Amino acid sequence: MKLTNHLIIFFTILGGFWFDASISLLTIPFNVEPCIGLLVFCYWIFAIPEKLHSSSAFMYGLLVDLFFGQVIGLHMIVFVATSYLIHVYVFRFRLFSYLQVTIFFAAVCTFFLACKYLILSPANYSYSLLILSFFVNALAWLAVYFLMRSFRRNFFII
Amino acid sequence: MARTTPTFTPIGKYALAFLISLALMVGDLSYGTFSPLRGFFKASSIYSRLVVSNLFNSLEDSIASFQDKKSLLQSNEMLRRELLQMQAKDFLKRQSDSISKDLIHLEGEFQDLIKNMDIKIFKIASFESKNYLCCSTHELYLSNSKKLEIGSNLPVSNGNSFIGQTTGGHFSLIKVILLSDIEHVLPVKSKNLFCNARGVGKPLFISCVTDHHEDLNGNKVNDPIFTSGLGGIFPKDVLVGTISSVTKLSLDRHEIMIKLIANPLDENYLGILVGS
Repeated sequence: MKLTNHLIIFFTILGGFWFDASISLLTIPFNVEPCIGLLVFCYWIFAIPEKLHSSSAFMYGLLVDLFFGQVIGLHMIVFVATSYLIHVYVFRFRLFSYLQVTIFFAAVCTFFLACKYLILSPANYSYSLLILSFFVNALAWLAVYFLMRSFRRNFFII
Repeated sequence: MARTTPTFTPIGKYALAFLISLALMVGDLSYGTFSPLRGFFKASSIYSRLVVSNLFNSLEDSIASFQDKKSLLQSNEMLRRELLQMQAKDFLKRQSDSISKDLIHLEGEFQDLIKNMDIKIFKIASFESKNYLCCSTHELYLSNSKKLEIGSNLPVSNGNSFIGQTTGGHFSLIKVILLSDIEHVLPVKSKNLFCNARGVGKPLFISCVTDHHEDLNGNKVNDPIFTSGLGGIFPKDVLVGTISSVTKLSLDRHEIMIKLIANPLDENYLGILVGS
């Protein structure tokens, strides 16, 4: 895949993380933390697994950590692990209903949030945040999925 | 969507990438190995955002010059900013004066120190609100457009109380670690209680642990907490917060939770006490 395509994908992921950071002031007081950036990354792996491999996940994770992370490595680990899971099950996912896929990606987000809070901020760890975020991220996945699919089909043809 | 046939995904490369990421994370968490690199990238992104926003502001200004209403709004905004700056300056001046008085009582050799005291006002360039609300790292960046030389470990105030201290900078940005950051320790006092209050990673809260029951000395909820001046960074006797709770950890150990009065979310400008 061309570098420009990688850049476009990376900027959409970065846009997702920027959006997360922008709305955090509104959502975190309600114990909700959306993971739009992670969902956008998941979408790209889900949509074009044959083009994005471990090295892409590694590099995207590194850059996200540099721009948005509190520590180098957290997003890299999550991106690499998620990428592997999606690659292994991608064709099975395509047989699944929207509901099943949505549950999977919301669970990925919840797992990421749990790890993040346990590693970086145990004082703020809360089950209510994880549960509420699960439902919000499930809805967010549907929005990300249809929006990104439309973007990929109309503007980003590789 | 399926454009290729199912293929085998070898785990080797993923495992390698995972292990490298894990090693980097452990290194960064334990030793802060990549802290300067992260600071550089964050500062670059803030800087480019500022440049873009300045460009937009200049464009807006040129359009506004043709509109009376907009120019009135601008002068209103300017006056508001000036008022905020004056408030912050006034507070810091008072702190500076009180320290000066203390020093005058001491030997004449401290006169040089008083001369060196100065107050600088800076606009907040970037505040990591997401980390502030969710996580343990509480920091912000001040815009140092005049490229003044600001060192590390200088007290930062919002005009009413202290909010944090400087920890260096990148480009024309000054990094400030807030009192509630888990890495920050602030020497405080209340009545006869002296302790080092550490940030708890929650907005507006710091806590200190007393090892002896006598240390509590009757301190109770809502009692005011002041800086003790120990540590040499913050001037003493400045109100920083009130006791919000006292929790018994063991027979002799108590945790005193302190709620800070200075909220960084409410501020646009902050002052740095230079040369204290």
